[in-house]
Amino acid sequence: MGVSKADEVDDGDNIVSSHKEGLEAPVKTAVDKFQLLPSFLKVRGLVKQHIDSFNYFINCEIKKIIHAQGNEKVTSDVDANFYLKYLDIFVGEPCVEQDYIYEPITPQQCRLRDMTYSAPISVDVEYTRGKEVVVRKGKDGKQEGSINIGRMPIMLRSSRCILAGKNEAQLAKVGECPLDPGGYFVVKGTEKVILIQEQLSKNRIIITTDSSGSVAASVTSSTHERKSKTNMVVKHERIYLRHNTFGDDIPIVVVMRAMGMESDQEIVQMVGRDPKYAGILNPSLQECAALKIYTSHQALEYLGSKVRSRNMFTKQKRTKVDEARDILATVVLAHVPVHQFDFRAKCIYLAVIIRKMLEAMLNREAVDDMDYVGNKRLELAGQLLSLLFEDLFKRMNAELKKSMDATLSKANRSTQFDIIKLIRPDTLTNGLEHAISSGNWAVKRFKMDRKGVTQVVSRLSFIAALGHMTRISSQFEKTRKVSGPRALQPSQWGMLCPCDTPEGEACGLVKNLSLMTHVTTDEEEAPLIELCTTLGVEDLSLLSGEELHSPKTYLVFFNGTILGVHRRPNRFAEVLRKLRRAGKIGEFVSVHVNPKHRNIQIASDGGRVCRPLVIADKGVSRVKEHHMKELKDGFRTFDDFLREGLVEYLDVNEENNSLIALYEGDATPDTTHIEIEPFTILGVCAGLIPYPHHNQSPRNTYQCAMGKQAMGNIAYNQLQRMDTLLYLLVYPQRPLLSTKSIELVGYDKLGAGQNATVAVMSYSGYDIEDAIVMNKSSLDRGFGRCIVIKKSVVPMKKYANRTADRIMAPELQSSAKGGVQVVARQQLQDHDGIAAVGEMIRPGDIYVNKQSPIDTRNNVNNPMALPDSAYKRTPQTYKGAAGETAVVDKVLLTSNDENHFVVKCLIRQTRRPEVGDKFSSRHGQKGVCGTIVQQEDFPFSERGICPDLIMNPHGFPSRMTVGKMIELLGGKAGLHNGKFHYGSAFGEPSGHADKVSTISATLVKHGFSYSGKDFIYSGITGSPLQAYIFMGPIYYQKLKHMVLDKMHARARGPRVVLTRQPTEGRSREGGLRLGEMERDCLIAYGASMMILERLMISSDQFQIQVCTKCGMIGYYHHKLKICLCSTCKSGDNIATMKLPYACKLLFQELQSMNIVPRLTLAEA
Amino acid sequence: MDGSMSAPPPEPVTYLCGDCGADNTLKPGDVIQCRECGYRILYKKRTRRTFGWNSSSSST
Repeated sequence: MGVSKADEVDDGDNIVSSHKEGLEAPVKTAVDKFQLLPSFLKVRGLVKQHIDSFNYFINCEIKKIIHAQGNEKVTSDVDANFYLKYLDIFVGEPCVEQDYIYEPITPQQCRLRDMTYSAPISVDVEYTRGKEVVVRKGKDGKQEGSINIGRMPIMLRSSRCILAGKNEAQLAKVGECPLDPGGYFVVKGTEKVILIQEQLSKNRIIITTDSSGSVAASVTSSTHERKSKTNMVVKHERIYLRHNTFGDDIPIVVVMRAMGMESDQEIVQMVGRDPKYAGILNPSLQECAALKIYTSHQALEYLGSKVRSRNMFTKQKRTKVDEARDILATVVLAHVPVHQFDFRAKCIYLAVIIRKMLEAMLNREAVDDMDYVGNKRLELAGQLLSLLFEDLFKRMNAELKKSMDATLSKANRSTQFDIIKLIRPDTLTNGLEHAISSGNWAVKRFKMDRKGVTQVVSRLSFIAALGHMTRISSQFEKTRKVSGPRALQPSQWGMLCPCDTPEGEACGLVKNLSLMTHVTTDEEEAPLIELCTTLGVEDLSLLSGEELHSPKTYLVFFNGTILGVHRRPNRFAEVLRKLRRAGKIGEFVSVHVNPKHRNIQIASDGGRVCRPLVIADKGVSRVKEHHMKELKDGFRTFDDFLREGLVEYLDVNEENNSLIALYEGDATPDTTHIEIEPFTILGVCAGLIPYPHHNQSPRNTYQCAMGKQAMGNIAYNQLQRMDTLLYLLVYPQRPLLSTKSIELVGYDKLGAGQNATVAVMSYSGYDIEDAIVMNKSSLDRGFGRCIVIKKSVVPMKKYANRTADRIMAPELQSSAKGGVQVVARQQLQDHDGIAAVGEMIRPGDIYVNKQSPIDTRNNVNNPMALPDSAYKRTPQTYKGAAGETAVVDKVLLTSNDENHFVVKCLIRQTRRPEVGDKFSSRHGQKGVCGTIVQQEDFPFSERGICPDLIMNPHGFPSRMTVGKMIELLGGKAGLHNGKFHYGSAFGEPSGHADKVSTISATLVKHGFSYSGKDFIYSGITGSPLQAYIFMGPIYYQKLKHMVLDKMHARARGPRVVLTRQPTEGRSREGGLRLGEMERDCLIAYGASMMILERLMISSDQFQIQVCTKCGMIGYYHHKLKICLCSTCKSGDNIATMKLPYACKLLFQELQSMNIVPRLTLAEA
Repeated sequence: MDGSMSAPPPEPVTYLCGDCGADNTLKPGDVIQCRECGYRILYKKRTRRTFGWNSSSSST
């Protein structure tokens, strides 16, 4: 905290910390704090941010929404006595209604039955029925008695989820994987994550420069009722307010006048009396005088004339002045409360903005950094859902009111009016379900229309799913070519993973959370404000403009609004922090003293990123050896550390008030915090890389992308899950060279790769360009063997005329021997017409013998007993690579929540690696299998060790993946002393990564060269190789890209009907395009006949008759066997020629538009 | 083995309940639900055939 003496602020530091000196000073000892991490992740889980956010929404936010003004009561325009008041709201336990019985439901059942994992939302209400007031209340949170208004999709592992608090055995019982992090939804059987959305913070003053380089300020106000953006710009050295309710830019002094600041002196005092500020403000003041605006009323009249008139049909006629005043009070800077048109607070807020702008004009460094993480907020599932829920809730109430008014306005009703019968739960249920399943977030009230908010959870590998939960998507446009938002920000340290971002267009815009990052949720504001006042914040309303910026005080901001000033800011911050450490105020409240801006920012709002750090007093860690021992013995949890003030959460802003030492040994007396573990700056995907700090940085980024494509295990329940596409490894292994992150996230339990013995040498020439030479015997032993399981769903549709699809027993035909036999394509079916589990299946085989009614529209007399002739065959045939067989793995029969019969089949295929399959190590070194060589021809060492694969040494120099080499060394040492070695990021000083020197010593002890190189014999000649070969185990991943799914060739095949050109794409057996660039080559070469052949003859050649006289297309009369021109009505001048069919089509389309294309022929 | 003889009605296909593991048979139009426990997910049993299709000849 660098407050210089010149600031004359009574610094609290001296008082607080002077007593710990001399003999009383705590003793310095380095403590291994690593154990904190597993315990942190144990209480927190990997996706706590999502779950916390959702829990907050379900438990608190939703109640605030129904009690909000305008939501709480539904009244009638017809009957003034009527009201319906929401008293309380509950989200129940996930359940499903079946045949009028509610039964609890598990997420796994929802996945299998294509249902939504949701719980009923019930409300307690009070309303009038006739003359009486009726109260409907649920008992102790139970639904009975209360009213169901819809269903809320439930996040897995949230407090309402049935999985919450279950142990491993209990989770297994409900068919769930204990390692699955949760944090997503199951909607209509598909798993959906709501991606974390990154935004600029709301309700904060942000000073920027616009395109012309002049200073501008913007504040995005956001309250429950309203969202608005207020801009302040500098034009011709004058400051203007720009807001979309005003058609024009308004001079800022006019706005101040309108808000009651009639004296120029007061304005100047409020902004700052310092001549350097007053000087710049002068032109703005003069402009106001030039406009002849001296009173508040004049200013309001001016504003009224600038108001953009929107709705002409407003009922109450208000004067322009009233309208302008209203806009100033409620729309401009909407988050600053104005009670009964007391604009004082808003005036001060405006003055502070102006002051900040003036500062920025004087000193360009005062401009805020938009990319600074402290200026960002992350919007999570809970916040997004609450926006949506409020909108839907309002819509439901509006619908309710409408239908109620319609009923009430009827003169005589037969039954007594009961509003409960009018409540339709569909609005909420469908609205929420549809938004999550489509990802379209549309809230009209806030002009919000976002697409792609949700994504299907990627289940390619365990890590892919985990990485998906921590992903952050940015609101920036992808096309914009600015590097700022894409660049790595120093303030991301420890909060966002520096490695994990995609390559290409979304590079740097899509980010991932680090291992320990937490995202805050909103905290109650009122008690905190009260506390601030108690701790000596002088209230704003008691201050004059002069006192506001006095050099002795700091302004106090609370969640963006100004609370007042404080005379001893450091002391105030210190006390607040002590209260936080003592657990008296929320652990995520942040206090940030900014001496440069002379203010204190207190934040309790949601969406800030923060991370835990060990607190240090005078550079000595509060966490001692005995604390760690207690933790190890299970007497302590991470929460105890938090509660006892040993560890605290810091957000990005507060980090700037602290001096954080990386290791305890590096701490100086100024140090306030110590990092728990340095490798936690990486996220889950980057955490898998051993020795990432020895690699070139982009290699780690590549591995982050590839780790998500690696095959392995997905979850413990992977074979029960019925995923659409599932890639598994037959013998997945745990990496020999592990990291601490791997153990923390559970990658050692659900690995995605195998430890391959790799020889780094050149072999055969089939290893150029990163290709890999593989040992055939290793493949026989199961290296890289994988299972591909595809799901196909066969829904038995029910149609409007009450007919339905049906499944028939396999068809019979008479065999050559005279008996009856099942049709060849259906031999794998049982009598039920569905393929038998365990049967081989070939391309073209029918695995569900389904029939559909021909007529699905018109009414049929007896829909259940239609004759066979009324059905057409709609069988499900297996489509796969020709010549490859697969096996029917699983057949599931169920009904979804609409009682439709569904058959799901899994078809399994086992593949061994072949030439062209893609592999990668954990260091961004991908390569395809170049050739497969007999083990007999493979090189071998003196000890008889023969590598599984050979990698070309050219992969190393340019990639500089030293980490891969150390992985090989460490793995090799690990093999021989029988333990797993570690390679955690930056782990050497703390012992979480083995040093090369110790690894080398181990190797030497076991009779190897310290360098990891071995004496190798050639497998072909049997003679020793000239060089020693670097050989040892490296963890290799098999990636999902396999030749079998990609290979494609075509000579002849299907064509598009319209143009008669070959179809496009492998799935349509398409042709291979000879594109513009290839065409250019042929032109340059002069191969004209080749062009003709490729572009016409092999594509869409067509023969036409052309009339040489009129140039129009004629035709060939097949009966008369003559060519005719329909325009000339004669066949005299017809010539036959060939041209592309697409050309003929063009001519005809032109003709249809009244343009005549004429062909002029010449002798060629 | 003569082709004129009509094959006897094949034994119904049984399905396993996903929850309790009980055997279930289904007729067309039935609700997919276990008779024992009411669970609504049923699985087909693994085939007992060793190779090929031979039901019409084996039963006679």
